[in-house]
Amino acid sequence: MEALTGWWDDYFWGALIVAKVFITSLSLMILFGLLGAGAKLSNNRLAQRIAGAYTVIFRGTPEILVILLLYFGSAIALTAIAQIFNPEVKFVDVPPFWAGTIAIAVIVGSYATETFRGAFLGVNPGSIEAARALGMSTLQTFIYIRIPEMWRIALPPFGNHMLSLIKDTALISIIGLNETLFVAKQAITVTGKPFTMYIVVGIIYLGFSSVVTLVVMGLEKFGNRTTVGAK
Amino acid sequence: MSDTPAEPAIKMIKVNKFFGDFQALKNIDLAVAKGEKIVICGPSGSGKSTLIRCINRLEKHNGGKIIIDGIELTDRVEDIDAVRREVGMVFQSFNLFPHMTIAKNLMIAQQLVRKTPKAEAREIAMHYLERVKIPEQADKYPIQLSGGQQQRVAIARALCMRPEIILFDEPTSALDPEMINEVLDVMVDLAKDGITMICVTHEMGFARSVADRVIFMDNGEIIEQAEPMEFFDNPKSARAKGFLDQILRH
Amino acid sequence: MSFDINLILDSLPLMLSGFGITLQLLLVSGFLGLILAVLLLLMRLSNKWYLDWVAQVYIYVFRGTPILVQIFIIYYGLPQFEAIRDSIFWNILREPTGCAILALTLNTGAYVSEILRGGVLGVDKGLLEAGSALGMSTSQKFIYITTPIATRLSLPAYSNDVISLLKSTALASTITIADMTGIARTIVADTYAPYEVFISLAIVYMIFTLLIQKLFGVIEIYLGRYTRREE
Repeated sequence: MEALTGWWDDYFWGALIVAKVFITSLSLMILFGLLGAGAKLSNNRLAQRIAGAYTVIFRGTPEILVILLLYFGSAIALTAIAQIFNPEVKFVDVPPFWAGTIAIAVIVGSYATETFRGAFLGVNPGSIEAARALGMSTLQTFIYIRIPEMWRIALPPFGNHMLSLIKDTALISIIGLNETLFVAKQAITVTGKPFTMYIVVGIIYLGFSSVVTLVVMGLEKFGNRTTVGAK
Repeated sequence: MSDTPAEPAIKMIKVNKFFGDFQALKNIDLAVAKGEKIVICGPSGSGKSTLIRCINRLEKHNGGKIIIDGIELTDRVEDIDAVRREVGMVFQSFNLFPHMTIAKNLMIAQQLVRKTPKAEAREIAMHYLERVKIPEQADKYPIQLSGGQQQRVAIARALCMRPEIILFDEPTSALDPEMINEVLDVMVDLAKDGITMICVTHEMGFARSVADRVIFMDNGEIIEQAEPMEFFDNPKSARAKGFLDQILRH
Repeated sequence: MSFDINLILDSLPLMLSGFGITLQLLLVSGFLGLILAVLLLLMRLSNKWYLDWVAQVYIYVFRGTPILVQIFIIYYGLPQFEAIRDSIFWNILREPTGCAILALTLNTGAYVSEILRGGVLGVDKGLLEAGSALGMSTSQKFIYITTPIATRLSLPAYSNDVISLLKSTALASTITIADMTGIARTIVADTYAPYEVFISLAIVYMIFTLLIQKLFGVIEIYLGRYTRREE
């Protein structure tokens, strides 16, 4: 245990990075998911095809591979582009934070696409008809009827997507993001206690996933307050 | 009501049943003679289903005694198993095993519980399928049969275990109107045997023609019991009168 | 930035030589994980609070932490203890393959047991009541009624987990295992051609994923034959 002294604040900053990645990738994941679902539900054949390819590609490819591809691939692409403007440039780096965050957002977003699509389809068509019959516009129906009901249905699987985001953050350590797993690797070279260090990482992630799970449970209760237990 | 010196098939003495704070059965006293046909009726929530479900221990009574054919129903597994061998049940939602053929539905309990060999079990199954008039459906799956057919299979399934007593929990309530009669016909036919029948139902025509006794329940209590003629033409309690008015109105 | 077809053609056979390792990781971990899952399920279904509680804690920990961390704890962490190094398990635990299989098994076991539990809970209670009324014992009801129906209900979610397991095998490359991803990373390090190598690798995984989905589709149709009305 004494091996850990002096490393606590490194772990703390690492945990902060995990939180940063989570918030950023969460926003992007929602964006990608909604775009993908919208494309699949639209009447545009091309959009459907693209969204279809999106889900097939990213649900069928290992996360680590996407992260590596995005990181190395974008570095090469950006270097090439930069060299057009300035031939002196040797190498343009992509910050691991962005390569990793975007990568996991894209991946989990492909699952979120299916979740949102299913949830939109699950909204009671009767409610929509009633809203239109009452004279509400398409936009008003969308905002006040469709979206709230869609979220209520999507929440349980969406909670799982959020957990995936948290856990996938550990993968980004492979490309050098200094979150907690990365910190652990450094600590090990100094202290020679791999088990202790990795267990701490596990506990930190367990803490994060517990918080997310509790928040989701709370949101589910809130979302279902008018539907469950009414006798 | 005939006075039988023999042991009653079912005896319930001061039976109580609670679901949390809610009392579903209040001090039920009931004796059913062997071979008697009983119909239990009453408004929703009166405890009718709870009462018969206590008889085969699908619900556990909280107070009083239940004695089936001399065996008292306790927590002991031997007692519960012994009782369930004597008592068959037909459910409102049929509850046929969807992943087994009709024949297998009828055979599985014979093979597992009575250890009947497969060939004999199949013979008994076919015998009862003929009794309920659908032997040709033996190798189909439940989903391929109509509701009325499924319920008749459910009755045959219960009969294959040769029970002394058979319980019906609203057997026709989940059926489309045109299929109710085919099931009631089977039940009327069954009543001609010596089997003891307890039937929770709203089908008053059936009660009139088959029942030896009609029991009216309300609010967890037995309010009135009488022979069908008497009960339907001359109900004694106000609640029974009100109930009959309600359901016989249309 | 050129796209070198020759490079793809050269590296594909190399990467596919890692296919055997990937398949081994998938099948062994999948099989052992399934056994573990059934064990955990029975613990959760038993009415003994101590078994249920242990299983719940296990599942909570293994679903709440990243699988990469679990792999590192087992491969890098366990050798920290002399007791481990002296035990009979050391032969397995010093090999990266053994560690990877252990980690993947422990992880998938937790997820699959929850999937199976969902299937068990989905069995119509009326069917179990009918079984009770017919005099069937608890174990008879579990074997002849619950298990066949729960298996069919669990299948879609289970097939998703098998695909997740496939993607997780790629993480074995982080502990020096020469599976497809491991070989690919070596090639990229040598050739600086992440696009060609990683994209073709991704395509291999995608094809593998599609095959698994097709296989489960066939199984689902077979198991669901009694749910369809046609003769």
